[in-house]
Amino acid sequence: MKSGWRQAQIGIFLAAIAVPPLVQTGIEVASGRTPQVLSLLRIRPSEANLRAFERELEEASWLAGPVRRAVQDAWWRGFGYAGDQVAAGRDGWLFYRQDVRYLVEPAGGDPPRDAWRAILDFRDQLAARGIALLVCPAPSKASIYPERLTRHAPRKVVSPTLDTLRRLREAGVETMDWFRLFQDARQRRSGEPHYLRLDTHWTAETARLAAEATGRRVLELGWLPGGMVDYHLRPVHVSRSGDLARMLGWEHPAVGLGRETVACHQVVRSDTGERYQDDPASPVLVLGDSFLQVFQADEPLAAGWIAQLARVLRRPVTSLVRNGGGATLVRQELSRRPALLTGKRVVIWEFAERDLRFGMEGWQRVTLPPAGPLPSAPIP
Amino acid sequence: MRALVAPMCLALAACATAPAPADPELSSLGKHEVTAELVEIPGPFPANDLYNYAFVFKYRVRQVHRGSVPAGEILVGHYNPRKARAAAADEESGKIGGRLEQFRAGDVHRMALEEPLDHHWIGGIIDKYFEQKGTRYWAVWTNPASR
Amino acid sequence: MVFTSHVFLFYYLPLVLLIYYLLPRGRNAFLTAASYVFYGWWEPWFVLLMLASTILDFVCGGIIGNPASSPARRKSALLAAICGDLGLLAFFKYYTFTAENLNRLAGVFGMNALPALEVVLPIGISFYTFESLSYTIDVYRGTAKPARTFSDISCFVSLFPHLVAGPIVRYNVLAEQIARRDHTWEKFSYGVALFMAGFAKKILLANPMGAVADEIFGAASPRALEAWFGVTAYAFQIYFDFSGYSDMAIGLGRMFGFLIPINFASPYRSESITEFWRRWHISLSTWLRDYLYIPLGGNRRGSRRTYLNLALVMLLGGLWHGANWTFVAWGAYHGALLAFERWMGKTSAYWFLPLWGRRGVTFLLVLFSWVLFRAPDFAHAQRFFASLFGLGGDPNAGLLAGLVYSPYTLAVFALSAWFAFQKTEIYEWLDELTWPKAAVLAPAFAAAVAVMWTQAFNPFLYYQF
Repeated sequence: MKSGWRQAQIGIFLAAIAVPPLVQTGIEVASGRTPQVLSLLRIRPSEANLRAFERELEEASWLAGPVRRAVQDAWWRGFGYAGDQVAAGRDGWLFYRQDVRYLVEPAGGDPPRDAWRAILDFRDQLAARGIALLVCPAPSKASIYPERLTRHAPRKVVSPTLDTLRRLREAGVETMDWFRLFQDARQRRSGEPHYLRLDTHWTAETARLAAEATGRRVLELGWLPGGMVDYHLRPVHVSRSGDLARMLGWEHPAVGLGRETVACHQVVRSDTGERYQDDPASPVLVLGDSFLQVFQADEPLAAGWIAQLARVLRRPVTSLVRNGGGATLVRQELSRRPALLTGKRVVIWEFAERDLRFGMEGWQRVTLPPAGPLPSAPIP
Repeated sequence: MRALVAPMCLALAACATAPAPADPELSSLGKHEVTAELVEIPGPFPANDLYNYAFVFKYRVRQVHRGSVPAGEILVGHYNPRKARAAAADEESGKIGGRLEQFRAGDVHRMALEEPLDHHWIGGIIDKYFEQKGTRYWAVWTNPASR
Repeated sequence: MVFTSHVFLFYYLPLVLLIYYLLPRGRNAFLTAASYVFYGWWEPWFVLLMLASTILDFVCGGIIGNPASSPARRKSALLAAICGDLGLLAFFKYYTFTAENLNRLAGVFGMNALPALEVVLPIGISFYTFESLSYTIDVYRGTAKPARTFSDISCFVSLFPHLVAGPIVRYNVLAEQIARRDHTWEKFSYGVALFMAGFAKKILLANPMGAVADEIFGAASPRALEAWFGVTAYAFQIYFDFSGYSDMAIGLGRMFGFLIPINFASPYRSESITEFWRRWHISLSTWLRDYLYIPLGGNRRGSRRTYLNLALVMLLGGLWHGANWTFVAWGAYHGALLAFERWMGKTSAYWFLPLWGRRGVTFLLVLFSWVLFRAPDFAHAQRFFASLFGLGGDPNAGLLAGLVYSPYTLAVFALSAWFAFQKTEIYEWLDELTWPKAAVLAPAFAAAVAVMWTQAFNPFLYYQF
């Protein structure tokens, strides 16, 4: 290569690495902001601060953000690659990688020790207040639809959660096995899938299926009698943006890929015609995560698991739901708001099965504030 | 070339010390307005891939501008602390914001606060001070302040 | 700081290049200061450790190289330098490992041998310790002159292109260049090209293969197909990660006028393990040869002693990589293979295999060694070996296929395989830099920068060693 060409090559390289930060500084100064890079002069030079500075510098870059989105889009369109959080399955199905990892990585003890202790401890604390506990791990999409992830998948996944359920039952904890329920339902019904294609959650009809089975179980156990409120179902359709699709940046209307239409049944009070609403005075408290949130607090409202449960129990329930927080966060919130336990006879606790290993904030033992006198009044 | 570098550095340094413009959101949002020092960041920030969380920080109150906040240390929840305040707001968080770019222990912030946290934010709260009793505030607006 | 990061590429590098070329003198002092910033960026207090090690070697080197020093004084200074350097390495890298094992042993007798301390491993300590050691030993042997100034030796030790993950450079290689080196368009241009190539190798090949390997090695018990895919992906990851780093180091060195020696020579084309070690991490294997194998007697004390020396050197080479029994086993495995090959000689049946067969067998043996290298413990390695031979027992293992096979990962795998078995390393290919080659490199570099922004923090594998 001739000397002139070499100089041109060097010039292009130097421009490539020097122009972006200069433009960045120009943009920031022009918009009246202090250049991000100068924050380095203000921070104490510790490992954590320097990593944070690097991250902020990159996130603030005028170039990095748009290029990142373009690369992710190109990966998907060109190679069907959905990045490091999402796995692209078959027929347009998306899966959360952590859900699959939960099924293939070594179990951290059977059941995971911290989870085991926290569940038994919670059961005991509730029992001391005269409250019964029903534990309901929600199966992941990969547990129920393995073949939609890959054709190499086993016909039936053996989720480590099943072993946890068995051991919990042996320890006297009441549990719901939604795995068998969904798998049996799949065999009976070959139509609409039970999980959303572009989302980590179940469909509204599956939420209804799970809620009906759970409600029946509560009544069978005799923990409380059926209530006196009649509800009926009102069919509606919603267009829902999948959380996995949102992670891929598909929520933008122009992309148009990230939505799917879901058939729902909204729960409506037969006497007033109003949509289902929680009742803080209910003897039933529901704790859970986003599985209980979908279709309930999201569109179309009152069509999720909580409303369907109330319909079967024929009474409104109290609910405390924290997205991504079924393991510990929801119990911490309950501990902050112990009034929610007033007059309760039953707690139904749902969490995503992956939380048994990857739960946000782990499985901490959460002490509830001291209980008042045990409930003795008859349940209305 | 050398003649270019020195003025550029001077200009950048001048930018670094330029006074921040007044922010009407600070004085109008929330029940309280305080200047406080971020005493510690009690652990890594939660992931924000599927869901966003509020993360509770410990502050030492320097000055109360509005409302009533006790002197000494307070606990304040910030929504999705991985993001700059100006970019953190979404449908779930309601109105939050400010000029703060990142959270660093030792920095001083001027904040508009609401209380209690769980009345204003109904999502997950990562509270490493869970065992400590007392009010958790919800940071509505957060700007950097001079030390 | 990591070469493949936003802050390095768009702030540190242009600023350091700009100031370096604007300075009429004091460039070495500036490079040293910039290198300390580079190193301290990871964890600021680490620089004190490096500084202490450098001061020790400068002082000891001065005593050793002083013609007025008595032989006993020279020997004492050498011993002090060796003990000091290896002492630092031993404490920071091996204390926890030693304490755990001793305490486990002492626990049998109900005792506790060493207190458990949380020792943080300073990155790159194995590299700069070996470089510092080579300085004092070379001065002692008379193959290098003692450093003229502290600035010279601190520049040698801390020079940021090779500081954290090699190549391990000897003082006598850089001493002359620190004193006097030329800066030419040709050198700079080659440096730019090699830096871009190394950057692309790391981001476009090593990291995606690393993600696949992580997924598969993280599984409880993968199926045979995924296990082979995973270990091969890991072989590609470690090669492109480390050789990519070396390419970037050499390229950056050229930009500042330094000629840093090569570290890889198409290792996966080796026909034997002996050849593999002549082609893989060349700067480490030659260091071990010159400062350990030959002083132990090399091959001059009979065949048994030669086998023992080989095994010992490789065992220590394994331990150099990390304080874990799996690394010791990895070293022992390679030592045993080297000894076996030497015993077998060049006339055994193996050499009648066709060339591709010998390469295949060697690659297979290397793959097995990577299982030991990658697995966090023996139980994991054992499970993985079982998986390789179809003995994994996890009924859910098929799901892993959904995480690791995609057109993207398969395309990167194929591309990696093509590059990994090339006869010519990228630095040779770039010897004759032409426009068509530059035209291939530029988009590869641009793509790598774009992909870098999608990847989370991605330090090099060898930063941990």
